[in-house]
Amino acid sequence: MTKILTVAELALREILRRRSVLVILTLLPLAFYFSRREDHLGQSIRFVCLGIGWALSTAALFAGSAARGIEPRLRLSGYRPHHLHLGRLVALWTVGVGLSVPYFALIRFDQHDVRYGAIALIMMLTVAVAAPFGLALSAVVPRELEGTLVLLTVVGLQMIMDPAGAASRLLPFWFSREIGTYAIDHTDGGYLTRGLMHGIVLTLALTALVAVASGIRLRQRSHLKFM
Amino acid sequence: MNHDGWLHALTGELHRRGLDPNLSRHVVAEAAAHLRDSGEAPLRVFGPPETYAAAVAESVGVPRPQTGRAWPDASAGVAGSAGTGRAAGSARTVRSSPGPIRLDVRGISKRYRRRPVLSGVDLTVRAGEIAAVVGANGAGKSTFLRICAGLISPDRGQVRVHGSLGYCPQSGGTNDYLYPDEHFVLVGAGRGLPRATARAAGREHAAALDWDPSGRTQARHLSGGTRQKLNLVMAALGEPDVLLLDEPYQGFDRGTYLDFWQQLWRWRSAGKAIVVVTHLLNQLDRVDTVLDLTPTREVSA
Repeated sequence: MTKILTVAELALREILRRRSVLVILTLLPLAFYFSRREDHLGQSIRFVCLGIGWALSTAALFAGSAARGIEPRLRLSGYRPHHLHLGRLVALWTVGVGLSVPYFALIRFDQHDVRYGAIALIMMLTVAVAAPFGLALSAVVPRELEGTLVLLTVVGLQMIMDPAGAASRLLPFWFSREIGTYAIDHTDGGYLTRGLMHGIVLTLALTALVAVASGIRLRQRSHLKFM
Repeated sequence: MNHDGWLHALTGELHRRGLDPNLSRHVVAEAAAHLRDSGEAPLRVFGPPETYAAAVAESVGVPRPQTGRAWPDASAGVAGSAGTGRAAGSARTVRSSPGPIRLDVRGISKRYRRRPVLSGVDLTVRAGEIAAVVGANGAGKSTFLRICAGLISPDRGQVRVHGSLGYCPQSGGTNDYLYPDEHFVLVGAGRGLPRATARAAGREHAAALDWDPSGRTQARHLSGGTRQKLNLVMAALGEPDVLLLDEPYQGFDRGTYLDFWQQLWRWRSAGKAIVVVTHLLNQLDRVDTVLDLTPTREVSA
């Protein structure tokens, strides 16, 4: 546990020292929010959640790529792969919570007649999914530019695809549309249940993908034997 | 060079020449007093700090390092084999007899896109030995070390490590946004060291390289040489039994380069098995084994 917490603490420090990245990270969801605030309040809530997801996924993508240089030597220094990826996930989840709280407060005071608890749930699930999603991308697509383009594509599709279509369920933030509909349009609990299940399954699946990718990349090679 | 800079350089040179610290302080104080009283430029009065330090060391009887060259016959110029001969040790370190085998490399072969880079390479390094890996650019020195560290797989062959492993890459291997102390804590936690112990150990290793890492400077703001010192200290934290060093002295100034070899000899005396990739042949007389990875056809040509 000490090893995971040490990695988490230092990964958090690293992210917090990237000042310009932090500013962009913080302002991006705000831009999403105000883009639809005038004409469609409900849509602005959906957009701000997507903005948080996009910002955090991007931060995770870059954090994962930056760690590729130092992780092999940390592995040699006694860390197991799960210490490294779980530590980084904890740091990113912490950043995500810190990013979400002011936006939740904004919605709480700026929007009325919505289900605030459900909105808090969307934000929690968005943070839970976005961090492993970005790390998984950094593992599968090692170059940052390609990873960023994939992220751009995913978020773009998330905005334009019909959420009722089966294919849209494959997108990582589909749950936010479902729970958003429940929170904003006061629909029945089916939307909430489907969204919740989707968010939990995606979080577990993406975290497992990160674990497998990290385990393969940082495995002890068969030619090397410690006696 | 101003007074302070010259005196600092003199202090470093005296330290490198193994002068007793009290005597060294006395010499520096004397020189400082003279410069203050005379108001003259230090280079004009004493000459370059290394020359003056050499003169002081000779006058008080500190032995010079040996300069004789001994290249183990069994390894020189032979691609893919390991020398077993022994070379003269440093005049400033007490050599203990080598201990048990720490690193045993057998039959390593590696190809990149059909181009053979390593072919049946063997190397054995015992506790208390330094092995130098030499060879032309592209001969596979870094590839060999990365295979030994388990970072890449060979096509054939095995590496057996008896104990723990520390690895210093040629570049990278640090986190741009962390302070040196935080790097020590990070690596130390992996080795099971408490934070204070890791910091103290890191600073101690750094001091041996004439570097004070206590400042709050992020790694990205360190000079190339200082960043390599950080890399080296990280590799040595937790006292691993085997140290794999891939040209760790890149960016070092002359003084630090000497400090680096001094540190290597101290580690050797402490019983570590060290493999260092180098292309600077003037230090090969200070190592125990030379592994030349230059392809045979290039050697014969």
